[in-house]
Amino acid sequence: MDLELVNIEKSFGEKKVLTGVSFKAKGGKAFGLLGRNGAGKTTSIRILMNVFPANSGEVLIDGRPIDYSKTGIGYLPEERGLYPKKIIIDQLIYFAELKGMTRKAAISAIDYWLSRLGMTEYREKRLDTLSKGNQQKIQLITALAHDPDIVILDEPFSGLDPVNAMLLKDVVKEQISAGKIVLFSSHQMSYIEEFCDSIAILKNGVVAIKGDLHEIKRDYPRDRLVVRTQMPDAVRRDFGSACSETESGSLIIKLTSPDEKKAVMTRLTENYDIDEIKVFEPSLNDIFVEYAGDAPKEA
Amino acid sequence: MKQFGTILKFELKYFFKNKVFVGITIFLVILIAAVMFFPRIMTLVESDEGEIDVSSHRPVMLLKVFDPASGDTVKEIFASSFPDYDVYTTDQEVSEIENGISAGAFDCAFVMTGDKSFTYYVGNLSLYDMNAETATAALARAYQMNAMISGGVSPQDAADIMNVYIESETVSLGKSQLQNFFYTYIMIFALYMVILLYGQMVATNVATEKSSRAMELLITSAKPTSMMFGKVIASCLAGLIQLLAVFGSALLFYNLNKSYWGDNIIIESIFNIPPELLVYMLIFFMLGFLIYAFMFGAVGSTASKLEDINTSVMPITMIFIIGFIVVMTSMSSGEVDNMVMRVCSFIPFTSPMAMFTRIAMSVVPGYEIAISIAILIASTIGIGVLSAKIYRTGVLMYGTTPTIGNIIKAVWKS
Repeated sequence: MDLELVNIEKSFGEKKVLTGVSFKAKGGKAFGLLGRNGAGKTTSIRILMNVFPANSGEVLIDGRPIDYSKTGIGYLPEERGLYPKKIIIDQLIYFAELKGMTRKAAISAIDYWLSRLGMTEYREKRLDTLSKGNQQKIQLITALAHDPDIVILDEPFSGLDPVNAMLLKDVVKEQISAGKIVLFSSHQMSYIEEFCDSIAILKNGVVAIKGDLHEIKRDYPRDRLVVRTQMPDAVRRDFGSACSETESGSLIIKLTSPDEKKAVMTRLTENYDIDEIKVFEPSLNDIFVEYAGDAPKEA
Repeated sequence: MKQFGTILKFELKYFFKNKVFVGITIFLVILIAAVMFFPRIMTLVESDEGEIDVSSHRPVMLLKVFDPASGDTVKEIFASSFPDYDVYTTDQEVSEIENGISAGAFDCAFVMTGDKSFTYYVGNLSLYDMNAETATAALARAYQMNAMISGGVSPQDAADIMNVYIESETVSLGKSQLQNFFYTYIMIFALYMVILLYGQMVATNVATEKSSRAMELLITSAKPTSMMFGKVIASCLAGLIQLLAVFGSALLFYNLNKSYWGDNIIIESIFNIPPELLVYMLIFFMLGFLIYAFMFGAVGSTASKLEDINTSVMPITMIFIIGFIVVMTSMSSGEVDNMVMRVCSFIPFTSPMAMFTRIAMSVVPGYEIAISIAILIASTIGIGVLSAKIYRTGVLMYGTTPTIGNIIKAVWKS
């Protein structure tokens, strides 16, 4: 099953929030929807979930307009919140029933998830008696109990301790291998890099870059070298303004063109005491800062 | 539709698990039981105390007549005018009478200073002491009777003339306001209480969901129309159930104690509501409740904090209270068909109270009722749909509470 947003436009009053947003997420894969605060991620998700309609554009499932009565969507909103004063099992059943489950099916699915997440003992408790991390696990159940085709997780790891984060990672991996479309939205780039095969970065309501994460990295201009050396001052003197230093103490040498790579590498190894030398590959963090940040994009 | 059912069930359960809701209902039922059983309990208590000499409790009144010849007539008339007092004649001096009252030997005294004048002596003069007025009338009667007797009329004839009894009968071709005033009053008041109370509850309920961010999940799980209608109809049912519990128990307890209440006109008129009026009550209650609850819900969805609710609902409450005051004033003036009431009975926000009052206390042509109900139904549906739209827009607006203008704009755009 493939999910595709095609040319979505959305304005709130005078303010244009999304402009020609298109991306495609595949079943059995995780998709990362990135962007700074206010870039249009939540609006895209809400349009995808039919909370409000787009001004124009389409949401397609396998090329056909999405039928919300047939396509189940599970959603973990960034703004977490259930009924703080109500019994956990009551509200979980309520949300599962709203998603179209029968009461019986809802109870057995919820009990499975409660035990899967180690929360069975809180079944009859009021939500506000739980810690923040545990409340988040309860919230996760509302997104998964009805066995949706599309799972949307907005900042799923925020507020979780390392043990719970591990548990959630396992759950996410299960969902992916069950063939579901998992849509991630997060500012924690390491998790996106770990799970997502494809990403889209939104900036001011426009898709700044999208596609396969490995391809994006590979397509990145290979015109920088990372150098670790015992003689950094000498190297810096030699390369002048083309050389800069990273936080970890390595040097980055910008080449005038990728073709120069071999010549520069030879020059470095012959003249200096070099520990390590490699072509610079950007991390997702670098890509994010470059495409979503305020600084003008480098050529 | 299935979602609507789920929401309705969930919200109703909220009411019946709510301790305040259940507590108030039980309290009201107990209160009504206490009122309704009161006469029965009183007779039990009184029959227990039956052995005590009641006469010793009765206040004593002394009369010092001016003309001893007419003393018996005056005493007789005073005794019948003051049935609560033991009336005795005296020839003590005024100072002795004053001392007697101060010492508590007797309670009050009338000293006649002429055929047509008297002085009233009493210890503490109560705010509600009407004895002087009663005595004025009694002495006037005594004077008239004495005048007749001295004019040659026999005492018996004079008494008959003075005690003439006029038989009368009133035939009301419309409705007797004397009879239906009380139950109309109670019904309007119940409507007022329930709409304001439950309306606030709907608004708070929506705002709580919004501020706890449960809305984020709800809005992606259910249609706003289902949400709004489910919530509002659930609270309408809860209100109706509460009213039924209160009025039902009142009716039950009244019937259990009917004989003890005797011929209390007010109580009897309250429990003799014509059935067709109950049907109108139900119609106007439901529609009036829904139209206001929808508005309260919509307003609740625009508030970003619970504290904002009170100010946000103010305009709605104002409309409602103005309607209530118009109806109440017209009711107590007795002119329920005045121009303002006629107009109000077609405006959907006031018609539940205004039209109901007119139906109950006057004769309203059938077509007027039909038009009023039709307008009310149409506007209730309209307001319901509109409020669901405001709700969908409002619940996702965080931060500052949007102005009415902003909301209308947002709804218009969507």
